[in-house]
Amino acid sequence: MTAFLPASLSSFARALITALVLMAVWYLAVELLQPAPFILPGPGRVLTALQENASYLLANALTTFSEILLGLLLGTLIGTATALLVATSGFARRWVLPVLVMSQALPVFAIAPLLVVWFGYGLGSKIVMTTIIIFFPVTSAFQDGLRRTDEGLLDLARLARASRFQTLRLLKVPYALPALASGLRVAVAAAPIGAVVGEWVGASAGLGYVMLHANARSQVDLVFAALLILGLMAALLWFTVDALLARLIPWSSTKS
Amino acid sequence: MIRFAAALFAMALTLTPAAAADKMTVLLDWFVNPDHAPLIVAKEKGFFAKHGLEVELVEPADPNLPPKLVAAGQGDIAVTYQPNLYLQIQEGLPLTRIGGVVDTPLNCLVALEGGSITSLKDLKGKKIGYSISGFEDALLGMMLENNGLKASDVEMINVNFALTPALMSKQVDAVIGAFRNFELTQIKLAGGKGLAFFPEEHGVPLYDELIYVAKNDRVKDPKIKKFLAAIQEATIFLINHPDDSWGAFIKAYPKLDDELNKTAWAQTLPRFAKTPASLDKTRYENFGDFMKERGLIKSVPDISTFTTEIR
Repeated sequence: MTAFLPASLSSFARALITALVLMAVWYLAVELLQPAPFILPGPGRVLTALQENASYLLANALTTFSEILLGLLLGTLIGTATALLVATSGFARRWVLPVLVMSQALPVFAIAPLLVVWFGYGLGSKIVMTTIIIFFPVTSAFQDGLRRTDEGLLDLARLARASRFQTLRLLKVPYALPALASGLRVAVAAAPIGAVVGEWVGASAGLGYVMLHANARSQVDLVFAALLILGLMAALLWFTVDALLARLIPWSSTKS
Repeated sequence: MIRFAAALFAMALTLTPAAAADKMTVLLDWFVNPDHAPLIVAKEKGFFAKHGLEVELVEPADPNLPPKLVAAGQGDIAVTYQPNLYLQIQEGLPLTRIGGVVDTPLNCLVALEGGSITSLKDLKGKKIGYSISGFEDALLGMMLENNGLKASDVEMINVNFALTPALMSKQVDAVIGAFRNFELTQIKLAGGKGLAFFPEEHGVPLYDELIYVAKNDRVKDPKIKKFLAAIQEATIFLINHPDDSWGAFIKAYPKLDDELNKTAWAQTLPRFAKTPASLDKTRYENFGDFMKERGLIKSVPDISTFTTEIR
């Protein structure tokens, strides 16, 4: 506990410093080049938009946040289950793996409008979209980990006459958890894209919806304000999940 | 030698107009469709060439982009929507309306005939799909209030560009933002029958669906005057020779030769601005007041700051 807190805090502080430097570059670029506000608004205008629309943005951010969380949960469940299935059954490996790769090749923008027609304009289609986006990184990372159990340990398990299930539960899964953790980190960073793409093709709330609306009304500062919230949300989620994973799977340290 | 010089001179004469043609870029609001008939006819029937213009028509990736691009000096003229112009002016885009394309609303609210909706009053508690354009809440709000309902009596859902599929699959009970010259036929071709309610018959002041805008500091450019003159002639030709014009349209865009576009072509004809360069000031003032009343703009801009009549 005490070991990871300062480390994660300092990485958070580092992220904050990076963000401040980027803001300064942005501010200077706008001051020097003086682009029209409808092309690139400065940080000042964006912060004002953030302040003026605080409750509107907050309500819509909560919608997007719950879509991301539920999608992450569902995607992780389905992803780990698929990885376990593929790892334990040669039949599943031969038949499911190609479909898995194909599912990743589909451009989400192309299937998003269909998802909306199938699952409706509510939360459902966004959760499915997010699930689809994170399913592959979770499955492939975990499946990869499950394949890389130390051969010597597997020999020991065979000598001890461990059943296939015992080998899986006591050896393969614990060994694969660090790989799953990397998959989850990728998933957390990608999940907001799924939710926003889902909102883009049909919604009545959410940050994607806010951005579409602001764009139609030429309110570029509000678009940037929504992007800023989305970025902060993604960073917050990532650091939380990273810290959680470091606690739950201490043998998968992210420290380089 | 003299003969050679004469030939050269004759060649130079024929070449001069082509070489001197002013290049212009017009950014369309949408993929090419029958709403752009005056532009297509002016290009295909040589009206732009006659006025010394060489016009390139550009289709956008996003209908909100063309005004921004023109405001940023990319392209000469953008085709956009009158209601959006007020929003763009408020956000500081240096744009001026220089002419009209379609001078009545095309937007309407559509439900499926034979369903639970026979009048606007039936919309209470229903789902209404729309494609975000920036002002549909104002339009719908007015139409509802005109029929004794409130905006909060319905649920608004952005269905992006899938207006007809959303309605046909019954994901929504009605859609707003459907174009009366397009979506109604689309619904018919998909096996349904649309029931249309027109905003201007339910309290919304008349407005121009499609207009031409240019950047403020380019309004005085002689090219703009030539452009409007060519569009005027093309519009008259279009109205006098609809079949000939349709032939030119599908020759230029063979992929659009289908039932939907053919019907839309005929239905759009009466809606084109007959004198594209003229301006109905009262209409622009009234619509500004409406936008303010509906809370879409903070103050009504002085119309002399964003409209002009080029004579």
